Amino acid sequence: HIPHRCNGVPAKFKRLLVPGKIQHILCTGNLCTKETFDYLKTLASDVHVVRGDFDENMNYPEQKVVTVGQFRIGMCHGHQVVPWGDTDSLAMVQRQLDVDILISGHTHKFEAFEHENKFYINPGSASGAYNALDR
Amino acid sequence: MPPTNVLSAQDEQEKLLDEALQTVKAQSFQMKRCLDKSKLMDGLKHASNMLSELRTSMLSPKSYYELYMAINDELHHLELYLVDEFEKGRRVADLYELIQYAGNIIPRLYLLITVGVVYIKCNEHSRKEILKDLVEMCRGVQHPLRGLFLRNYLLQSTKKNLPDVDLMEEVEEAVGKPADGDGSVNDSIDFILLNFSEMNKLWVRMQHQGHSRDREKREKERQELKILVGTNLVRLSQLDSINITKFRKVVLPGVLEQVVSCKDAIAQEYLMECIIQVFPDEFHLETLNGFLKACADVQHNVNVKNIIIGLIGRLAQFAERDPNGIPTDIQLFDIFSEKTAEIIQNRPEMPVHSIVALQVALVNLALRCYPTRLDYVDKVLETTVDVFSGINLEPLEYNSEVCKELIKLLKIPVDSYNNVSKLLELQHFAPLFDYCDLNSRKLISSYVITNALDNETFIEEHDKADAILRLILSLIVDEPNKGDVKTVEDPEDFLEEQNLVARFINLLHTEDNDNQYLILNTARKHLGLGGNRRIEFTLPVLVFEAYDLARRYSAQRDSDEKWEKKCQKIFQFCHQTISGLIKAELSELPLRLFLYGVLVASDVGFDKVETIAYEFLSQAFSLYEEEISDSKAQLAAINLIMSTIEKSRCFGEENHETLRTQCAVAASKLLKKPDQSRAVATCSHLFWSSKPSEMKGEELKDGKRVVECLKKSLRISSQCMDLSIQVQLFVEILNRYLYFYERGCEHININIIEQLVEKIREELPNLDASQDETDQINKHYQNTLDHMSNPDVNDSSYLQLLEKLNI
Repeated sequence: HIPHRCNGVPAKFKRLLVPGKIQHILCTGNLCTKETFDYLKTLASDVHVVRGDFDENMNYPEQKVVTVGQFRIGMCHGHQVVPWGDTDSLAMVQRQLDVDILISGHTHKFEAFEHENKFYINPGSASGAYNALDR
Repeated sequence: MPPTNVLSAQDEQEKLLDEALQTVKAQSFQMKRCLDKSKLMDGLKHASNMLSELRTSMLSPKSYYELYMAINDELHHLELYLVDEFEKGRRVADLYELIQYAGNIIPRLYLLITVGVVYIKCNEHSRKEILKDLVEMCRGVQHPLRGLFLRNYLLQSTKKNLPDVDLMEEVEEAVGKPADGDGSVNDSIDFILLNFSEMNKLWVRMQHQGHSRDREKREKERQELKILVGTNLVRLSQLDSINITKFRKVVLPGVLEQVVSCKDAIAQEYLMECIIQVFPDEFHLETLNGFLKACADVQHNVNVKNIIIGLIGRLAQFAERDPNGIPTDIQLFDIFSEKTAEIIQNRPEMPVHSIVALQVALVNLALRCYPTRLDYVDKVLETTVDVFSGINLEPLEYNSEVCKELIKLLKIPVDSYNNVSKLLELQHFAPLFDYCDLNSRKLISSYVITNALDNETFIEEHDKADAILRLILSLIVDEPNKGDVKTVEDPEDFLEEQNLVARFINLLHTEDNDNQYLILNTARKHLGLGGNRRIEFTLPVLVFEAYDLARRYSAQRDSDEKWEKKCQKIFQFCHQTISGLIKAELSELPLRLFLYGVLVASDVGFDKVETIAYEFLSQAFSLYEEEISDSKAQLAAINLIMSTIEKSRCFGEENHETLRTQCAVAASKLLKKPDQSRAVATCSHLFWSSKPSEMKGEELKDGKRVVECLKKSLRISSQCMDLSIQVQLFVEILNRYLYFYERGCEHININIIEQLVEKIREELPNLDASQDETDQINKHYQNTLDHMSNPDVNDSSYLQLLEKLNI
């Protein structure tokens, strides 16, 4: 959500993001601009992005599956999953993509849990941008 | 064929030098032999012969120097011998007389100096008198090169013998007789000043010797010799008894008088720099007025700018090292500011970029020595503005010297304060922008914003926001590029620029809500003028900030009785802003912004919120229907609309029903069958988990309509011709049935599920096994079955079903 809702990734976090130490980046979307994408590319060569509802780039896929080691990891932004943030709905996506780990976003709320033997992760918001869904 | 017996100039010099050095060697050998045998007169004769080599006019300064150094060494030997002799009792005075009868003046004077030094060392006569004598005698050599070296010899030889005591005049008077005849530091000063004047005169005379076509060569030779003259100043600085008062009253005026009156640019430039270098900063601080006046009086082709910049630099460094070092009565900045202005006035031909360079130096001084005095910096900027307005310049071109200096000038306070808010207090900062061309203005504007972003400087008042937005106007609106240079705008640069501006807008932020609203209004005013290209980037930021503000008001509702009205105003503001984007022919972005507004409204929850939310949603719908034509975009849009409605809590049943129906209709009107099927299936959630306000937080759970949706979705799927897609859709819809079934939807009974499972099982084998999708669909189906048999799910009806179907 840069620059729509905030001016950048917080400095403290940025300091942890050292180029060369990170091998893969899996991003759930809403980068918004190419500038942010370019920044991610400087941190790691393997960057995967799925399309969020505010992304300018139409070419990001809606969903993606990446295999890292022995795990199939699925990614989707989450605005397509109705209701938003609902575990069972996310499980539907997991079944469809046939993945061991599903990463989704949109809610800006960090989550990590196991459901029916599969792992679900929501990284929250990298920039700390607010979300109207916070209650 | 070139004649081989004509040597090049350099070879010629080498030959001459070699010859001379040979003679020196021979004669000095002889001299030493005689001295060893105590034959003084003979020794002196050989010395004289040796010194005659220095009478030459053929050597270049470099070569002469080498010769001089060689002879110097030998004379030192002589000196040591003489000192030794007179310690044993020989009379110096006699020798001193005798020497003066030597034949040629050059050898005579070198010898006289040598003996004179010995005379001084043996303390038989007044030092003062001997020194005076020697320095006057040297007048006898008026040839520039020879004279310079001779006087240099004088200076070097007497290095350790200059009286360095400060005898107070009062003591003299009190005692009633002249002070120690040996001399005081005053005499040394006189001695050196005289030597210095004479040397300078000789040096300047070199400029006018010879043919005008050789001028360049002469000037180069003069540069090689400058250190000889400068050594006098070094010697002055080494006299410890010179205190500040003496320096100010005697030494500096004496030096400056010579420097100014010689009217020679090369001498003046070098000597002024020399003065700055050799004397301590404390002295300079007390004598600024005098020094700077001299700067004003030097020849016009002297690069005064560099001299002053050098001095300012030194004093600024001094101040930084020792903040208490500057006496409080010395208004350093004022003095420099005034005098620099005088100098500039006296030199109408000074190029503008030099004037600006001087301002740069002044600003640095102000910031380093007086970091709290904003007004000093402002004064410098004011002066610059005056300079420019006086000259009536064309807008400064980006690459010109002047522009570069100006940009340097503007960057200094930005970097020094690291606080854009403070920067705005400088009244003359913004006017300087007007003198630059478009590219320069963009450059410096970006620099300012980047500084703000790097330092996370928030702009918290709306008048400051106004000021800063005016400042960076070049980035915000399209400006006609004045002048002939047509620059082609690079689209990537433009993008970068606008992103920068957008990020910056996030900094227009304050915790005070009312102020924030004012800031948003101001920003909207300025940014709205940006034209369609820019508002795409800039206005969304304002919208999000406004939404955030509404939530803040809501959070503080207890302390602000007008909060509801204010929220309304904010939503109006957003509506207007988003409409602005629509006018710029954007559709997807405004749609999303409206939908987001619905969520915010739902969250804020005040009296009239439903009206506003409904309006926003209808706007979204209009955009969907009228502006979005790409089918992929349509699907995405309708999904977003539906999921937004599902999440919102502010609609009453009446409105909610209308919206649900609209969605269902829209979903079924999508062009492609698969899209239709999916959209209608998604719509089912609207009938289940959405919460119209009457439900008071409970889900709608209209099971009948849910099933209707799913059935319709199935029907549409069967109309898909592509079997693969059909089956895929079936599996998806199966999953949805399971979802609602598990949540207790009574309208779904296990039979429907059974039928669907069977249908899928039937069709699966018919799929083309070579396609990847088949594999995926199979897995999907398998996963669904696994889910049903999963003990965590624990539904006995599932297990029964699975048994029944032998799965």
